Amino acid sequence: MADTTNGAVDGAPRRRGITVPESAALTLFLALEVIFFSLNSPYFLTWANWVNIFTAMSIAGILAAGGTILLIGGQFDLSVGSGMAFVALMFAIAAESFGVGPGIAVAVLTGLGIGVINGFFVTVVGVNPLITTLGTLAIFRGLTLSIGGASSVRVTGFDWAIQRPFLDIPLSTMLFVAVAVVVGLLLARTVYGRTIYAIGANETAARLVGIRTRRTIFTAFLISGLCMALTGMVSASQLGSTSGTTGVGLELAVVTAIILGGTTLKGGVGSMFGTVLGLLIVGVLNNGLTLMNVNSTWQQVAAGTLLILAVSFDQVRQRFIKG
Amino acid sequence: MQGAEPFLSVRGIRKSFGPVEVLHGVDLDLPAGSVTALLGENGAGKSTFVRILAGDHTADDGAIRIDGAPADLRSVQTARGAGIRLIAQEIADAPPLSVAENITLGATPSRWGFVDRGAMRRTARAALDALGADLDLSRPVGTLRLGERQIIEIARASVGRSRCIIFDEPTAALSDAETRRLFELIARMKAQGLAILYITHRLDEVFEIADRACVLRDGRVSLSAPVDELDQRAVVTAMVGRELQGGSAEAQAAATPGAPLMEVRGLTGDAFAGVDLDLTAGEIVGLYGKVGSGVPEFAAALFGADRPRAGTIAVEGQQVRFSHPAEAIALGIGFLPPERKSEGLLGVRSAAENLAAPDWGRLSKGGTISRKAERGAFARWHAAMGIRSRPDGGEPITRLSGGNQQKVMLGRWLQNGSRILLLVEPTRGVDVGAREEIYALLRGLAREGHGILIASSDYEDITHAADRAAVMVRGRITRQLARDEISVASLTSAAGGGLHG
Repeated sequence: MADTTNGAVDGAPRRRGITVPESAALTLFLALEVIFFSLNSPYFLTWANWVNIFTAMSIAGILAAGGTILLIGGQFDLSVGSGMAFVALMFAIAAESFGVGPGIAVAVLTGLGIGVINGFFVTVVGVNPLITTLGTLAIFRGLTLSIGGASSVRVTGFDWAIQRPFLDIPLSTMLFVAVAVVVGLLLARTVYGRTIYAIGANETAARLVGIRTRRTIFTAFLISGLCMALTGMVSASQLGSTSGTTGVGLELAVVTAIILGGTTLKGGVGSMFGTVLGLLIVGVLNNGLTLMNVNSTWQQVAAGTLLILAVSFDQVRQRFIKG
Repeated sequence: MQGAEPFLSVRGIRKSFGPVEVLHGVDLDLPAGSVTALLGENGAGKSTFVRILAGDHTADDGAIRIDGAPADLRSVQTARGAGIRLIAQEIADAPPLSVAENITLGATPSRWGFVDRGAMRRTARAALDALGADLDLSRPVGTLRLGERQIIEIARASVGRSRCIIFDEPTAALSDAETRRLFELIARMKAQGLAILYITHRLDEVFEIADRACVLRDGRVSLSAPVDELDQRAVVTAMVGRELQGGSAEAQAAATPGAPLMEVRGLTGDAFAGVDLDLTAGEIVGLYGKVGSGVPEFAAALFGADRPRAGTIAVEGQQVRFSHPAEAIALGIGFLPPERKSEGLLGVRSAAENLAAPDWGRLSKGGTISRKAERGAFARWHAAMGIRSRPDGGEPITRLSGGNQQKVMLGRWLQNGSRILLLVEPTRGVDVGAREEIYALLRGLAREGHGILIASSDYEDITHAADRAAVMVRGRITRQLARDEISVASLTSAAGGGLHG
């Protein structure tokens, strides 16, 4: 019987072949970008330039790792940029007074603390994640500005992120790759990852198969907080200082990459691999346009256009399949 | 229907989705002043077909004539303009808006661009009166019961000038009394000369209200005849393409009850009070109650999905107090929720993941899980339960038909080794053939020593599968029925409704 195929038709519209064609289209797009820019700049295809591309996206990439988990689970974290700035400031203050070791401890605790606050309001109080993290976005940006003051705070003796011990790759970039691999495996291979997808697909149904939904979501916010802790230290180390404007607007870059990578706002679908593709598509675009001497303000226009085009493409593709 | 031109006439309708042709040339006439029943298993193409009539899909090939003239139903608006209204199976209302606003949705009365509240309320009231429904017009529909929301959908379709009304399984969420009033309304619509197309799984309804029956199987019309010339067997055979053995008389020899698995005493919650119930290994207990009786809420409380206010539950002699379903699952309890789509399915995920979900803990090694282990588990139940899907369950669960989705929902609890199965509305949205398969499966599970509770508002579930039954009315058990006392008549009379069907 043609039951399996007809079932799709006898009810609501269905998606088919979720991951494969989507990442295939993204990979194709990335390939086109690479071809285009390599024809336009002889410098584009060099090792040093690709290290640059990955280095430029390492901070947004680490934050997007936590963000991918949350968005697949149907959640959202807009506080990553200001959270990162707050962590960097707390780290700088603690490191100057007590040394780097205690500074790292303070940074990790601060990041986790932000995760606890977000997770508490979303899972225990039941505030919508968008509203919760919009609130914490403002709170931690404000705290960073009022504690740190208008000028930047110096960080000394903490330059690990720009060290290049191997193949000329900075440590911060290696950290990003490591985080991406860990989160990729977490989502694809572990029971925790399965429960995240299940919650994103249908939270009620997930609870009724015995998943501790609130605990799982809380943990995802903690992971996002941990990513803020890592990026706070990467940023402080890269720049040797931190200021009130560190990480402004980063949350949008993060969300853009995740959605471009095929994770839907509805949840239940997506992957870390897709997010890395999304990061690369934006990263390669920015890098290529810079090499072609296009002003960075236009790069924002390009990234925004790309996001809308990618999601429109996906909508059209679904409609085509629906018939 | 001979002689005069039918209101709507359809010839050779074909429709494909991607490479799959779903309708292979469907012919149908809908005469004015007549009720045509459309039957067919899930996946037969019924919904696709009526969506074409409603302008929601466009046919790839074929001709549609209205009053003898070629018609192009290219959008929902053109179909509505031609007087065709579809009352969809899935409720599509605006929960925060009021009853009156919902009934007039899309045709809100206005004066100079402002909403005419008085006219709106009069229209809504008249539509509800015709259905014999007494609902507060200013209440948000989100606060109403499912059956009441269905009534509002029907009321909305009856507003304005309509000539053809298509009902897509309207009685699934209705109480007996509501069903009666719906049938009266359909009879009135018929007398007014409307053409009615009525989709249903319930054969008794066909013989009660339809003039003509049309059966779709695999995208083709397998039977089309006046109802007087048909009997149930002929319709079922046309639907499933083979003879089904036996009906309710098929009930197997009484299983020998074993050890008590679950003892419930004085359980009280918001929708039920003082309920006692025992569940023993090797038996199927039916709990029958009409919509609003508190049956699904009671079952949810046994699973820890809702917290009861008073009373005790013992599982294999141990007192328990569940604060989360995970605790019930750990003790070997499985739960099938009443609303498959919103409470059961992990929609975008694969069938294999859906089946393995409660068992991820056991299928994993050190917190990691391989897709292979998951698909292996699926393959086992794919064969054992006859699930029609890819053997590894790799496709999204939503691509399976209703009956096969339900088998996956049941397979969950077999895969994780549950011994107590709490099944709420186990055959809702499941077609006749798959229903019989599910009943047979449940009887087999009982023989293997499972204790099964069927909590249902569909008396067929009880008459076909239960070894004994209890009837719940307004949250209290009013009658216990032994195996030989279970009948449609005893169930419906104990539930306090007129005899139905």
